[in-house]
Amino acid sequence: MTWQLFSYFALGALLLWAMGAIAAWRQNSWLARAATITGLAVFGTFIALMWVSLERPPLRTMGETRLWYSFFLPLVGLVVYARWRYRWILSFSTIMATVFVCVNLFKPEIHDKTLMPALQSPWFAPHVIIYMFAYALLGAAFVMAVYLLFFKRKRSQKGIGAEMSLTDQLVRAGLAFMTVGMIFGALWAKEAWGHYWSWDPKETWAAITWWAYLVYLHLRLRYPKKHREALLLLVVAFALLQVCWWGINYLPSAQGASVHTYAS
Amino acid sequence: MWSKPWRLTEAFTIDGGLVTTGLLLQYTVGPIDWDMLAWPVNASILAVLVAGMVTVWWSGTWHKIYACHWLGGLDNAIGALGCVVVVTLVMGLTRQIPFNAPTIHDNPLDALGLTRMLSFWPLVLLYLWLTFSLGVVVMRRLIPFRWRNLPFLLLHAGLLLVLLCGTLGSADMQRLKMYVAQSAPEWRALTDDGRVMELPLAIDLKEFIMEYHTDSLHTPKRYASDLDILTHDGRRLHTVIEVNRPASALGWKIYQYGYDRMPGVTGDEGNVSILELVRDPWLPAVYTGIYMLIAGALCLLFITPRKKTDSDDLAAV
Repeated sequence: MTWQLFSYFALGALLLWAMGAIAAWRQNSWLARAATITGLAVFGTFIALMWVSLERPPLRTMGETRLWYSFFLPLVGLVVYARWRYRWILSFSTIMATVFVCVNLFKPEIHDKTLMPALQSPWFAPHVIIYMFAYALLGAAFVMAVYLLFFKRKRSQKGIGAEMSLTDQLVRAGLAFMTVGMIFGALWAKEAWGHYWSWDPKETWAAITWWAYLVYLHLRLRYPKKHREALLLLVVAFALLQVCWWGINYLPSAQGASVHTYAS
Repeated sequence: MWSKPWRLTEAFTIDGGLVTTGLLLQYTVGPIDWDMLAWPVNASILAVLVAGMVTVWWSGTWHKIYACHWLGGLDNAIGALGCVVVVTLVMGLTRQIPFNAPTIHDNPLDALGLTRMLSFWPLVLLYLWLTFSLGVVVMRRLIPFRWRNLPFLLLHAGLLLVLLCGTLGSADMQRLKMYVAQSAPEWRALTDDGRVMELPLAIDLKEFIMEYHTDSLHTPKRYASDLDILTHDGRRLHTVIEVNRPASALGWKIYQYGYDRMPGVTGDEGNVSILELVRDPWLPAVYTGIYMLIAGALCLLFITPRKKTDSDDLAAV
């Protein structure tokens, strides 16, 4: 199993997810769920086979973490769809997953087998997988924010209350996963580097992102009717998250100063 | 402004006051030297802070002093969190150097103190304000204790423990490097600034293990030290230390830090194992906070909050 076969698996999964998205628009919720689940199974199979053939979890490089993101986005979309029946959510998650699949197809960042000793740890897989899942949930919250801010017409107070409540729940779940992912990283850092928190640039940005989502949750509790401010904050927080995730690789202040840039 | 109820304007005004105070301190007293906080100074600061939190909580709850009550409220939390985001953002955008590193000339950021943000007064005061407010709100929810406040307490008290003990304890943390050659027991180690310290334990390296990847002979797949730890009371503990697998003895954690080759000696016997020895007496308190945070995060996932003022009519969508 190698990256050469990625295009076949990815194409198969994307077609199934697209089928699910169309079915959701046509209000065929049974087909929407079945197609999305099958797509997840196809994509998940590729990840599992990569894991086996690499003899390590495929989590080391940006290309490999994008695999997980492409997997988790439709999963989160499916959970939200199953619970709230938004007709558009599966289309959004499919489009987002397609973007990440395309990046992997055209800028694949092919990887070797070697894993430096510091990454050979039982903490490695849970740390990154939990973070990717948090990113997917917060990505869904960001999509909700953009939709509510710029695309939703007729902003009746009654309707937006439920949508804000969904956004809050996505953020709460995303922040919970992010907290656990961050703590797993801290516990791992103690075992690998001798300290749980060293203000490495990646850690600094993880803290920035974490605080920003905490501002959102507290703002929502104190001013539940200030939707616009809260949603704009969510857009800013997601931008900060992007810097933490990959923007840091291009940030002058972080060059050569982070233990999290393995790929170079 | 300052007409009750106080809202975000008042919160950000207080935060602005803290930043101004911080800047004045930064450019008069100079940056904060965390080493000055070593035991027992940090313990005294902790006692004063906790006493302050209890006093403010008491004054707010029992004596109905408005400012003290407001301090543990959401507006202050939003203001403090928002400012902490901004000040941490400054740190994330500026290349950081160690506190003891030499001054970088013709770098205005270094002159301003922005390259050593952890010693930058405004950052420290904002984090301190956040921590203090967190302490007050923890007291408020702790007394009287109610089970339904448990998730809230796990998250907030957990973070409080991590912030307080992590920062105050940092001055008591010791990190030493030890260079051990095979069959030459070593009990001395070097501090970061090059001082030699004698330890209550010695390391006797039996064998330095080196394994390479089959396809590339230059990057090691694994390196490890097979060694005995000898304690001053005569015990001998056999263990293998490698990256991600430290050992513990007498309150020290011993890490595989790296390796070096002795000049003129070939083969594996020529390898000097570099170990790092770390002692952090405040770690149990920080870990307690960390485990509380994990438990709180799980509660966040599985418990939905009580409904707030917005209408939550799900059927409307």
